[in-house]
Amino acid sequence: MLVKRILSDAGEREKFFLELYKNSFPAIAKYISKRGGSFEEARDVFQDAVVLYYEKLVGDKLNLQVNEQAYLMGIAKHLWIKKYNLDSRNIDINEAGQLIEHVEEPLPVTQKLLNFLETAGQRCMDMLKAFYYDKLNMTEVAEQFGYSGERSATVQKYKCLEKVRDTVKQKALTYEDFLE
Amino acid sequence: MNEIKQIEDHLFNEVDPQESVLFEARLILNPQFADNVKWQQQTYQLVKQYGRKKLKAELEVVHQQLFTQTEHRSFAQKIRALFSW
Repeated sequence: MLVKRILSDAGEREKFFLELYKNSFPAIAKYISKRGGSFEEARDVFQDAVVLYYEKLVGDKLNLQVNEQAYLMGIAKHLWIKKYNLDSRNIDINEAGQLIEHVEEPLPVTQKLLNFLETAGQRCMDMLKAFYYDKLNMTEVAEQFGYSGERSATVQKYKCLEKVRDTVKQKALTYEDFLE
Repeated sequence: MNEIKQIEDHLFNEVDPQESVLFEARLILNPQFADNVKWQQQTYQLVKQYGRKKLKAELEVVHQQLFTQTEHRSFAQKIRALFSW
């Protein structure tokens, strides 16, 4: 799929986001401003909406027919309403008719853990992100991370997973308030 | 590594029912294994959080470009005007 190709390249992705901003942010900013929201709130809502849209795109969970601007607007409205716990029953928000997930701020403990992993195991985290979050296939992961092929990249992926898992476990035992 | 893969397959992919039963049995009989499954699920959650964090950082770079660089000035002004009152 073309969009997925674009999104797997950092430079192309930046252009894609720039276009998205230009095409979709004005209407959303207008919506938020009319309801008394601030510029920063409009930015946060828009960025969260893009995050959810991105996850749908890379996960192949979107109907090709979906209108990008309308879709983002739908998510943004939903996020705004949720933010203020307003009654959303009467608002037709979701074009695709699916439930929209909320982008939760990670818990402080999770933040701490993320910060630790970001420095201690950045390469592993980036590789795991490429596969599990950005949904690249193993061939693309191998290419981006300089492995000879799918096979050695797969082995490395599992090693990373194990390493991170052990770190999480170990750290969780020292952070008292780690939960869920 | 085998165990890691096995857990992943169980969580994400289709596994045959017989294997699935064995997996469930192991969960009950082996607390350490159950523990590993739990931490592995946490790890996937964490990778997702990490992905979101990085993605938002990328979006913020684009945001800064749009609202500070002169080539995008008219766009920025148009948006800012919505919030000035």
